[in-house]
Amino acid sequence: MGKEECKTMLDALNKVTACYRHLVIALGSTSDSQNLREELKRTRKKAQELAVANRTKLTSLLKDKSISKEDRAEYERLWVLFSSSMELLEVDMKRSLEIGQDFPLKVPTRHLIQTGMTGSTTAVASRAMSVQNMKYEADSNIDTADLRDLQTEITQVSHMMEEMEMKVQVAPWAVEAKQEAGAELKSNMSVGNSSVGVISICEEEPKDEEAGGGRDTGFASICAVFVFLVIVGVAVVLGYLVINMS
Amino acid sequence: MTIRNTLRDHGQRYRPRMACLKKAEKVVLEMQDPKTGVKSQPQRLVITTIPHAITGEDIIAWLANRFQIDAQEARNFGSMLAALGYIYPIQDHKRLVIKPDASLYRFQTPYFWPTQQWPVEDTDYAIYLAKRNIRKKGLLELHEQEQYNRLHKWMNHKWDFIVMQAKEQYRAAKERRKPDRVVFECQERAYWVVHRPPPGTVSGMDYGLDRRIDPNAEEVKTPDFYEKVMIFTQQSIMRPRVKSSVSLGALVKYCATYNSHDPFLSKCLPSNPWLTDDVTYWTLNMPNVETPTKKRVERWTFSFGELLSDQRGRNDFRLFLKKEFSGENLAFWESCEDLKWGTAGTVREKAEQIYKTFLARGAPRWINIDGKTMEITVKGLKHPHRYVLDAAQTHIYMLMKKDSYGRYLKSPVFKETVKRAICPEEHKFSQAQLEQNARNRRPSVSPIVLRQQELEQKAKMAASVDITQLCRFTTPVPHLAVYSGITDFPSSNASPSLPFVTNTPVCPSPISLALDSTSVSERRAEPGEVGGEGNSGTRAPATGHVSKSRMALSLRRLLRRGCTPSNMFASLSPKCHSAAGTSSRIQPISPDQPSQAPPRRIGNFFQIKVDIPPECRIYPIESEDEDEESRAASRGGGVGAKEIICPWESLTPQNGTG
Repeated sequence: MGKEECKTMLDALNKVTACYRHLVIALGSTSDSQNLREELKRTRKKAQELAVANRTKLTSLLKDKSISKEDRAEYERLWVLFSSSMELLEVDMKRSLEIGQDFPLKVPTRHLIQTGMTGSTTAVASRAMSVQNMKYEADSNIDTADLRDLQTEITQVSHMMEEMEMKVQVAPWAVEAKQEAGAELKSNMSVGNSSVGVISICEEEPKDEEAGGGRDTGFASICAVFVFLVIVGVAVVLGYLVINMS
Repeated sequence: MTIRNTLRDHGQRYRPRMACLKKAEKVVLEMQDPKTGVKSQPQRLVITTIPHAITGEDIIAWLANRFQIDAQEARNFGSMLAALGYIYPIQDHKRLVIKPDASLYRFQTPYFWPTQQWPVEDTDYAIYLAKRNIRKKGLLELHEQEQYNRLHKWMNHKWDFIVMQAKEQYRAAKERRKPDRVVFECQERAYWVVHRPPPGTVSGMDYGLDRRIDPNAEEVKTPDFYEKVMIFTQQSIMRPRVKSSVSLGALVKYCATYNSHDPFLSKCLPSNPWLTDDVTYWTLNMPNVETPTKKRVERWTFSFGELLSDQRGRNDFRLFLKKEFSGENLAFWESCEDLKWGTAGTVREKAEQIYKTFLARGAPRWINIDGKTMEITVKGLKHPHRYVLDAAQTHIYMLMKKDSYGRYLKSPVFKETVKRAICPEEHKFSQAQLEQNARNRRPSVSPIVLRQQELEQKAKMAASVDITQLCRFTTPVPHLAVYSGITDFPSSNASPSLPFVTNTPVCPSPISLALDSTSVSERRAEPGEVGGEGNSGTRAPATGHVSKSRMALSLRRLLRRGCTPSNMFASLSPKCHSAAGTSSRIQPISPDQPSQAPPRRIGNFFQIKVDIPPECRIYPIESEDEDEESRAASRGGGVGAKEIICPWESLTPQNGTG
């Protein structure tokens, strides 16, 4: 159904926005590099594709007059999610433009800030792109060439957002959130969970399952070790007594 | 049509007072240069090692070397860089200062730099708090918890997004290696300590209001621009000028006088709270402290303005005036100030109140101003606005300044105050004590509470005001019989904004005043504030009078229509005679009492006309006018006896409440 598609797409957009933010934070620091710029570029492109797709979907859903009231409320909620994501994206893109201009990679006199971050951001980018391995194939002047593209993209995004606000009559403040305070402490939620007040555990990301499972097995192993030690200790004591007695 | 978020303002915010940011950035870029900058070392945590940590002493040494300054200054400068957010401490992360020891710091990533002055959004803060919530498994710090709840309430429509984004960012962060993850958390935490400082810390990013234009940008030379330049120049030419010898002399005198009182230029006794975190200075100089400090008392002798602007000085002056029986001047001045500074909605009532209390003929606390000023004021009061009493206020101010102020400075009241004034000892804190003070900083009393206390105090003062000091110009009673708010149409008097009126049943003062001049009158003078408190003691003897006056009034009401004034006045005439000795007032209240007095006066507590009965020649000079007025009034539907009409009421009859 349209709603489910929307939700999965919004999830994806959300993920890409989060990863983009992480990448932009690393910009200008010692973990910056050619690869990072390329990662930024590709993540951005993906974000834009998703944004456009989301927008068309949502506008078509919202324009449909024949939907019920609850549906409409739900779509408005999704719309607010979408527009907030886009705002974040736009802000991050602007910042990446400024920082990118301030910290060109090839100029030898301008050093990257020694922030203490030295690792690469490949994993984040592959998460964003939903691929296993990132392949880097950009040429060496990506930092300057990319900036021009970035500028055009920023204007595109701003334009899109203005259009969105003009065309779609959604009052963002009228939307009520489904999550209560502290909802992030509960288990993984995707936007697909739409029942009000009931937080069911949806598809868990494999990574987190591993992490969770890892934690549990760790705990179990510690318990096992402890029990083992206790048994050994008891055996030693008994043996000692036996030897003493005899 | 949705309302566009104004924060997405395409860079329209200019904060020119933060010009230091660009300069700080340059310094930081130099500092972090791997070859010539501050030397960095790895930070060793339990399992991981994180590079690029710098020690406090290294920072201070580098800064001192680079700028050729001494260590203390370098330390202050370094602390400024930390307060702005370019460097953050790793260990004591809430205190953004550079300590001259081996404590570690790190450079902030450019995304979190303040230089570009990107707006710090609440959405981001909410996402950060949500992430922190996940990490700390629900155990946020107190101020973080408060902020979280507040944001949850105000950003509720975005809350789904915030939760989703927080989770995603949390998971994305996990993708990085452990050292990077630690660094990232530290960075974000430091960013938010700068931009949402925990309570009790001062934010280095306070900058005042945002400006809509960039004052450093080149202005385009359009015709409008030149127009503005021309207007500015023309106005400059027209400005009145003072001879430089005069103005420089005044400046020199001011500096010489206030030099020892300036906390920057001379010692602030006992100690400057901003430097030592000890608030004795503020407690000793509270507005209503019992014993003021010597310095404060000295300031009162500089000028009358100083005396009045200091609350304690004003109290002292008020005490002195009370002894001299001229307290009404100060009271009038204060009421005018209240009018000027009060809310716009209350201007009308306050003006009326002041008129009745101070300016009207027969007012209880009548002040002595000259005829011209009175005329101007009364004319202005027809359309009362904030500054309508300015002329009168200035007159009274000059009167007090020229006359009472000099006597005050020689009076025993003042001498007593001077004798009792204290001179506190200077504090000498050691470094450890200073740190202790810094830790024990507590927020002061809430301004809301302070304001309430102020209002209570004002009310108390209003209640206890002593206007037994009637001079012979004040009050023949008969007016005041009605003065106590009894209007023609008490039932239709639905004005809630006239607290005065509500006091009627318990306000016996006018009559008792005439008869025995007790201090009951004081209650009537400030009825609005008090509402019935005040001398309950005098209520008992006065109740008798109340019933009498009530009877008289009801009688009057019955006889209102078609009744000649003289009939009504006759009932009250005995009371007139007692006040017959008063001399005339300055002039008629309303020079243009119109003949079109309205039939109904709704909700006007100013139903006090200056009709004097023909028998009661209190104001012999104006008797003809009064007769006319009284006839006009009675034609107009009979406002009854002896009521002081406020001049503006006659022009605007149906204006109801203020």
